[in-house]
Amino acid sequence: MDLLDLIDTIQSIADGVLFGTTYALLGIGFTLIFGVMHKINLSFAAASIGAAYASLLILSAVKAPAVVVFLMAAAAGGVLGGLVYLVGFKFIPLANPLATLMSTVGLLLLIDEIIVHTTAGVPLNYPALFSDVIVPIGPFNLRGDLMFVFVLGCVCMTVLLLLLYRTKLGLATRAVSQQPTASQLCGIGIMRVNILTFVITGVVGGIAGAMTGAAIGMLSPLLSLPLTVKGLIVTVIGGLGSIPGAIVAGLVVGGLENFFQFLRGVSERDLYIMLLLFAFLVFRPGGIFTVAAGRD
Amino acid sequence: MGNAKVLELHGLTKHFGGVRAVDGVDLTVASGEILGLIGPNGSGKSTIVNLICGLFPLTAGRVLFGGADISELPPHTRVALGITRTFQNIRLFGQLTVWQNLWVAQNSGEQRKQNFLPRWLGGSKGARAEIDRMLEFFDLGHKRDELAGNLAFGEQRRLEFARALAARPALLLLDEPAAGMNAEEIEQLDSRIRKMRQNGVTVLLIEHHMELVMSVADRIAVLNFGQKIAEGTASAVQSNPVVRDAYLGTTTGA
Repeated sequence: MDLLDLIDTIQSIADGVLFGTTYALLGIGFTLIFGVMHKINLSFAAASIGAAYASLLILSAVKAPAVVVFLMAAAAGGVLGGLVYLVGFKFIPLANPLATLMSTVGLLLLIDEIIVHTTAGVPLNYPALFSDVIVPIGPFNLRGDLMFVFVLGCVCMTVLLLLLYRTKLGLATRAVSQQPTASQLCGIGIMRVNILTFVITGVVGGIAGAMTGAAIGMLSPLLSLPLTVKGLIVTVIGGLGSIPGAIVAGLVVGGLENFFQFLRGVSERDLYIMLLLFAFLVFRPGGIFTVAAGRD
Repeated sequence: MGNAKVLELHGLTKHFGGVRAVDGVDLTVASGEILGLIGPNGSGKSTIVNLICGLFPLTAGRVLFGGADISELPPHTRVALGITRTFQNIRLFGQLTVWQNLWVAQNSGEQRKQNFLPRWLGGSKGARAEIDRMLEFFDLGHKRDELAGNLAFGEQRRLEFARALAARPALLLLDEPAAGMNAEEIEQLDSRIRKMRQNGVTVLLIEHHMELVMSVADRIAVLNFGQKIAEGTASAVQSNPVVRDAYLGTTTGA
């Protein structure tokens, strides 16, 4: 491999890591909901893309700047999060391990169908910020739109971590995930915490959806399934329930994805990510930050 | 203190399938009283505590708190009204610090009314002072930033006790607080329960450790097979032949 190839490789990995913040946010969303409900919400990534689509509605009415569109995506994500809880969880028997899995798969398909029917399946342009900016650092070029996505993702994660580790709401959320019965008997309303968790993760998902749209430059109904898979992979590699794990895994998966794409082409790259997932499931099923567990 | 009734159980009944865990129990706890609730294993003591704090629905009967019917209220609402508890098997928030365990449990009606921002961000001055007092009272000040899951057993028991007081309860339900404690710790527990009563907390104490119950309780109620079989002062209960039969395992033929 000569020097130019090496530079290109590093460049593509760096781009991937920047975009990986999107995966990290999706992973955090899956992990947070699993924390309080002990259930997987399979509709999360679809709802995130749905929120990004919903934010385009404002553009059809007025000519809004990209920042407003992003804020709309966050707000729509929050609303969708609340709706997902009401439809997919509140009235579903939680004792049945498969019931919410089915209800959230249903929601995933429903959201996809709504998107396909309202847009006729045609991809829509999504506004990006700083897309004309390119920062040269030595032989490398940092894309402005990816930098923005990265910074936004980092801000989002910081706020989320502060919320979870420094505020009483966040502590209540973590208390519920550690000891649901005891937290009720310490005066924490579980229902309220659940709804808030869905709304907050929905906001995070909406931002992740907008970031995806901004980085790719468009939205397509074909995005929701791959993002669901990536989000779940990140969650497993990071360790179900671990937020630091989801962050690291998101960046790693983003970087490796681009690395494999650079080496072997776009049609093969997901194969290697799946192999990575397989390796984790076999050798480290608890994720990055847990002690490797032996088999019984 | 007066004779106001803090807690009244009327015909409290809970059936699990065909098992009559609690079967028509009437019980009254007066304000400022320490009531001991004893009985052999499986006699329904813990179920009664679970029913009072609303963990599962009643089969029949009513729970009155301060004269108001709370039978249908969810658990966290009962905490806001002033009923808190400890657990027989410790259930702390292991991944939160000692301080955070207390902060997150400050959920009385009054505490909920405090200003929004300080309440969510680090706690108001008053709330923090309250936690400091509690840490001192339970000798946990030096552990305030330690994760609750890393504490020694005795410290965990004390923290759970403190957490139950964080929401300023009017009625505290202690579910076997002396389990696994040594003689010295039980002595400290005894004096803490008395001090709490001086501060106006009414206590319902479930305990197998007879010495503690006999020493600290004003009145004792005895359960067997989900029914109340005796009630009275320590000496009256001790000399009651029905109680002796229940504990020694002979059938009373009742």
